[in-house]
Amino acid sequence: MSDHEPPSQAPQGHGPITRLGGIPLPDDNLSDHGSDASHADEHSHGGIGKYLLVFVALCGLTTLSFFTYSPYWPWRDQPYVGWAFMMVVSCTKALLVILFFMHVFWEANWKYVLTIPAGMMAVFLTLMLVPDIGMRTRMASQERVLKMARPSDVWLMEKAGETQLLAEPAPH
Amino acid sequence: MNAPAISVPQGSRSLGPTHGGNGHGNGNGHGHDGNGHGGGHHGPVLQYQPGLPLTRGKLFMWLFLSTEIMFFAALLGMYVVLRFGAPVWPKPHHVHLSEPIGAFNTFVLICSSVTIVLAFESAKANKTKSAKSWMVATLLLGSLFLGVKGYEYAAKFEHGIYPWSPRSRVFEKPDLYYGSAVRARLGEPAMIDRLKELDDTPEGKLSTEEVSARRRLLKVRQMVVDPNQQAFDLAVVADQVMPLPTDRQLATHEGQEAGGGHGGHVSGLNDIFPWLKLPAVIPGGTMWASTYFFLTGFHAIHVIVGLIVFSILLLYKLGPKRAGMIENAGLYWHFVDLVWIFLFPLLYLF
Repeated sequence: MSDHEPPSQAPQGHGPITRLGGIPLPDDNLSDHGSDASHADEHSHGGIGKYLLVFVALCGLTTLSFFTYSPYWPWRDQPYVGWAFMMVVSCTKALLVILFFMHVFWEANWKYVLTIPAGMMAVFLTLMLVPDIGMRTRMASQERVLKMARPSDVWLMEKAGETQLLAEPAPH
Repeated sequence: MNAPAISVPQGSRSLGPTHGGNGHGNGNGHGHDGNGHGGGHHGPVLQYQPGLPLTRGKLFMWLFLSTEIMFFAALLGMYVVLRFGAPVWPKPHHVHLSEPIGAFNTFVLICSSVTIVLAFESAKANKTKSAKSWMVATLLLGSLFLGVKGYEYAAKFEHGIYPWSPRSRVFEKPDLYYGSAVRARLGEPAMIDRLKELDDTPEGKLSTEEVSARRRLLKVRQMVVDPNQQAFDLAVVADQVMPLPTDRQLATHEGQEAGGGHGGHVSGLNDIFPWLKLPAVIPGGTMWASTYFFLTGFHAIHVIVGLIVFSILLLYKLGPKRAGMIENAGLYWHFVDLVWIFLFPLLYLF
């Protein structure tokens, strides 16, 4: 915290432009005045070491979700375990990026004003798609059902893959 | 809102309406004190109450990002409901997706997120030179991501996976439509010449793989025109053209080798004779292609926009004066990274 700033401003903020105390600034210079004064308090949180730590964590988490693809993943026959695991990993990664790289961790309370409604809308939007699109095949017409791929087609392809019929040299 | 916590130093000029447009101001109570001490200005003074304690640029970037959250939530939500509502969805290997490449791209984007943050920190600390080099690094990493994406797209196109129908050679199932498409392709005049050329090539000029593939191709050509064709025959044809590695093969890593080394053959006819370009069967493949290109395409557009922004930023001296701009560009870029964080497991690993 620099000396000339009132201590009451400490929780206010982050970023170059959140300094509101002091002399009114002309519009254009708003950002530079803010930045040189506030970068003293930047050092208290956004140190490069912290970013690198987040980076290492992100790489580690990516490796973890990649691990589900490897043959050593123990739940290969239960895809839901892997999916749930990957979603947890992805949400953790997203949270890390939002909190630290996007500085949301250090922002004032306005962050909730913007992110929570948008997040709710996002969840809502997805839920709204379920009855029309997610359940579309339950009420499909006969013609559609005939033309769309079904698990039996996958089975057919797998069976076809097992035939050695064509691998043998053809009789001349 | 923390505005009332702010105090105005004594002697400062009163905040008049002219400063109202600055997007910053004082809490009412303190502001009034300031006026009293400062100039004895007792008329009705307009006080400006800031909506949010941040600059307009950042505010608009966040508003934009909240619309982007909904945009990508709709896209990802669409993908999820389409995928889980579909009776069949292709495995990543059926559509020639390479997980290591996807993981590499994830790594590239994470690195670029770090470099843009470092560019911002350097600019704030007035280290213009290092800010510029971090920015260049971000630009390069973003381009690398796009390059890898382009390579992946090219691999899809090579296998006849396109998002639109006249070009796409993907069929949902080995049915009569598929059989007639294979017949039509083999009956094209240029193809007839090419096949004749292949038939006339002496065996010595072909590799052992090609010799066996030629025999398989001959069988396939007989099977698609056979009047006594069985339903299963078309599945065999489809498997010869482009085999789908099964779960078991994937589990044993057998399917890692080109085209899946199962049965007596190693790879599909399309892989051995790239000019064949026969229609292939991927159950659920057409819907997969639509969603894949839609999602990654929109993500790639966002990456391109980010790269344009970085290129523009590179024209400036990246000192504290530009820190706000870099911060906003960074916010956008982190969001692009964020979307990829969800896209990667959803597309490559699910």
